[in-house]
Amino acid sequence: MHDKQFMRETLLEGAQAFQAGKLGRRGFLALCGMAGFASASVLAGRAEAAAGEIVMWNWGGQSEECHTSAIGNAFTAETGMPLKFDTSGPLQGKIREMVDSGNVTADVCDGDLFDAVALGKTGHLEPIDYSVVDKTKTIDGYALEFGVSIILYGYAFMYDTQAYPDGPPTSWVDFFDTERFPGTRSLYKWANGSLEAALMADGVEKDQLYPLDLDRALAKIKSIKDNTIYWGSGAEAQQMIVNGEVSMGMVWQNRGRSIETDTEGRYKLVNNGAIAMPGAYIVPKGNPGGPAVMKFIATAQSVPAQLDLFACLGMTPTNSEAIAAMAESDQPYSITSEQNFPNVVLNDPNWWGENTDTAVNAFLEAIS
Amino acid sequence: MAGIGNSGSLHLKSLVKRYGGFTAVDNVNLEIERGEFLTLLGPSGSGKTTLLLMMAGFQDITSGDILLDGQSIAAMPAEKRNFGMVFQGYALFPHMTVRDNIAYPLSVRKRPKAEIGAKVDEMLDLVHLTDFGHRFPKELSGGQQQRVALARALCFAPPVLLLDEPLGALDKKLRIEVQAQLKEIHNRVGTTFVFVTHDQEEALSMSDRIVIMNHGRIEQVGTPSELYQHPRTVFAASFLGKSNFLHRKDAVYALRPEKIDLAAAGTGQGANTVSGVVQSVTYFGAMLKYQVQVPELGEIEVDVDAWRGGTPVAEGTTVDLTWANTAAVRLEIEPK
Amino acid sequence: MRAIPRHALNAGWILVLPFVVLVGALFLGPIFNILWLSVSDPTPGLGNYTELFTSDSLGRILWTTLRVCVICTAISVVLGYSIAYAMVHAAEGTRNKMLGLLLVSFWISVLVRTFSWLMLLGRNGVVNSTLETIGIISEPISFMRNELGVLIGMVHYMVPYAVLPILASMQSIDGRVLQASRSLGATGTQTFWRVYLPLSRAGLVAAALLVFIINLGFYVIPAVLGGGKVLMVAEYISVQVLVTLQWGTAAMLAALLLFGVLALLFLMSRFMKLSTVFGGARA
Ligand SMILES: Nc1ncnc2c1ncn2[C@@H]1O[C@H](COP(=O)(O)OP(=O)(O)O)[C@@H](O)[C@H]1O
Ligand SMILES: [Mg+2]
Repeated sequence: MHDKQFMRETLLEGAQAFQAGKLGRRGFLALCGMAGFASASVLAGRAEAAAGEIVMWNWGGQSEECHTSAIGNAFTAETGMPLKFDTSGPLQGKIREMVDSGNVTADVCDGDLFDAVALGKTGHLEPIDYSVVDKTKTIDGYALEFGVSIILYGYAFMYDTQAYPDGPPTSWVDFFDTERFPGTRSLYKWANGSLEAALMADGVEKDQLYPLDLDRALAKIKSIKDNTIYWGSGAEAQQMIVNGEVSMGMVWQNRGRSIETDTEGRYKLVNNGAIAMPGAYIVPKGNPGGPAVMKFIATAQSVPAQLDLFACLGMTPTNSEAIAAMAESDQPYSITSEQNFPNVVLNDPNWWGENTDTAVNAFLEAIS
Repeated sequence: MAGIGNSGSLHLKSLVKRYGGFTAVDNVNLEIERGEFLTLLGPSGSGKTTLLLMMAGFQDITSGDILLDGQSIAAMPAEKRNFGMVFQGYALFPHMTVRDNIAYPLSVRKRPKAEIGAKVDEMLDLVHLTDFGHRFPKELSGGQQQRVALARALCFAPPVLLLDEPLGALDKKLRIEVQAQLKEIHNRVGTTFVFVTHDQEEALSMSDRIVIMNHGRIEQVGTPSELYQHPRTVFAASFLGKSNFLHRKDAVYALRPEKIDLAAAGTGQGANTVSGVVQSVTYFGAMLKYQVQVPELGEIEVDVDAWRGGTPVAEGTTVDLTWANTAAVRLEIEPK
Repeated sequence: MRAIPRHALNAGWILVLPFVVLVGALFLGPIFNILWLSVSDPTPGLGNYTELFTSDSLGRILWTTLRVCVICTAISVVLGYSIAYAMVHAAEGTRNKMLGLLLVSFWISVLVRTFSWLMLLGRNGVVNSTLETIGIISEPISFMRNELGVLIGMVHYMVPYAVLPILASMQSIDGRVLQASRSLGATGTQTFWRVYLPLSRAGLVAAALLVFIINLGFYVIPAVLGGGKVLMVAEYISVQVLVTLQWGTAAMLAALLLFGVLALLFLMSRFMKLSTVFGGARA
């Protein structure tokens, strides 16, 4: 789940209510109109897909600009089809609702690869056409039937350099060790990444993580619960660090660089043991733009697009040619760079696609 | 009613109330005797309520003093004064039954339950509402509410009862009925009543003494007949009853319409006789009201007993008006 | 031909009928949908409801929700009552200014509020750093990212909602009734408890209901200021709908909230006329 989500959630509370209730879109708009809602602002950035164009469902904010410059411009130049956006955030529940309602208004979702597994299984997604999309232009195992990973984001942690002058924490083991490294921590509250980190801290080898041992992970999480606060959005994670609420905090790896800049180097990013998350493009079943969307996904795999996305959003390329073409100075912040990749865990979308519900609920129960 | 003892005389000394630059009560001096039924009479805005609220302790005094049985109570909070008060609009507690309303002053004084019950029964009987104890105020008629307010205010045997236009909201017939009841209750309980009204008939029929107020000042104080027979100012003469005003040399005289006799032209016999032309005649059942145009005096109103006055004189007829020397009252003070 | 009763053809009703039907459908449709989901997803039956008794975590979430909502309601209503009281007794100009401030606070978004609280009461917030600088405390006080934080944030959000109904009911109290109480020998305190409070009770109950019901649906404030540790029903429902796709559980909880609120209203209607609470005829 991505940065802008939290803002969106708030603005779209009303909209979600209607989505949860499966109230028709027109009905909802009529209701908004009647109630005098500023529906225009609530639904700003949401475009209706029509033939001859592609609507990307993403998380708003910067990503709209970045997706236009990195992918949209080249795609439009080649196909003549404009790229539009729905910036309300394609959470699984919303994709499922959209497909179930029979009123599909988006062509491609900036989602997670585990979404592809979960929603593919229930028939809510179009399969990826690998005659157009290139299986080799992503990480091994990240080209799945219903989704292909375009970029990697991930979970890493940052620490306060002033809190630990005698030797900084270097791993999740240190992160979970409140004796040697006192102070408040932060973790992602919807389980993802936090569980893997806990298991690594508990001594599980990084290639032995999956299937996750939930009980063991949660026991470890609980062991530092009194010293932990939990975040639900990237903005919140960043804020906890910038405001000095935590001395060690989990963050989205792609944001580490800008937080280092924001805190003038007081907080440093640790990529060791970072959990790489495959951000994937997935296509809702019955998308209005039809097969042309595959061309769009293929465009996103191209080297210039991949490098642009990194420059713009800090999300790491999955295409090996793009990885190879990265500038020296960018390497420390790229999860797939030669120096980081050997120490990184690759998230298993199949496990998460099958177990998100159990894992998230168990995690929520453990921390609350 | 027992418990009042010798208490209940009030002395207002040079009382003044100002709201900013506006003087609502202007140097009022008044002695109110124990057990008296005293009425404050005046037009709306003349300061009656303000004066009453100062006595009750709800209005700060700008200057002056209030003595109860010789003791200053000017600084005493309202709840300590032990004055009963019946408000304009009654101010019953809408969330309490009639019984609870009446019991309130005793229950806040933490009297024993049995005593309260007995006292409430007694008060309900006094105001003839024995069967209405369980009702809520909004389930009562205006007259009944008024009586509840009275019972509530008398329940703790206050030495002084202040009533602010308690009958104002009642229709005329009911009002006369309640006036009689109120008077009867006053006679029975012996409490000092300070009663506010703008209705002159009410004042005349109920009061031991009347205080006529105008622009925050006392215009005149006296028994009803003193005030009626000997008004001192134009205002007193015109507010309490009707008056013709005769401007003579350096003085003004008030002449009540019923003190003038009307006779056929040339037959008038009396100390004072003038001649005039009837402008209009109005029939009021008990009396006839004539408007007579008198060249030297202007329009004069004459009330004639309809029964004894014989056949009404037609409009346009020239008549003689006569009155005794004592009938015209020389007014002392001319208000600005 | 038989005459049609006149009232059946009341023109006004015919004019608004389509609207009534539309609004009814728009309100009832989703509610039936939720009820249906709660007994049909993932499998038909009452499985989602039996979870209530078998799942410790659901029980705990509901308990947290109830506890936080009750405490927040109590504090908000007491504060709201005091503010309304001050407003009613302030001079007209002051009262209008206070009302203005109150209404302005409705326009401040929840996010801005939560972030402001973090700035103010967070670990390195203004309050903690001031107290540390002047040496009153050596360790920052944990105001935020816990249940206390949630309560502070929620109370702050809810107080204006509590003030308005209370203010309305206080403004309708006849000042002479209070004077009457004093003239009958009651002290200020007695007058307050025996006259003022009962006469403003309708507003108080309306405020408590309003605040409690809004509280039940809160999720941004608990989510942020609770530091993830104060999990309330609304946030849990949102997670079940959007992330874990357990729509049956979500629908069951939504239905539970709905019926909980209805039951609350029903219970209250047994003790007082609801029409007085919602601004109808006065008791
Ligand atoms: N609180 C107040 N502030 C300013 N003026 C007032 C106030 N109360 C009364 N007044 C003024 O004082 C005058 C006397 O009022 P009041 O005592 O109510 O008269 P009455 O009861 O004789 O009708 C009126 O002109 C009224 O407008
Ligand atoms: Mg008055």
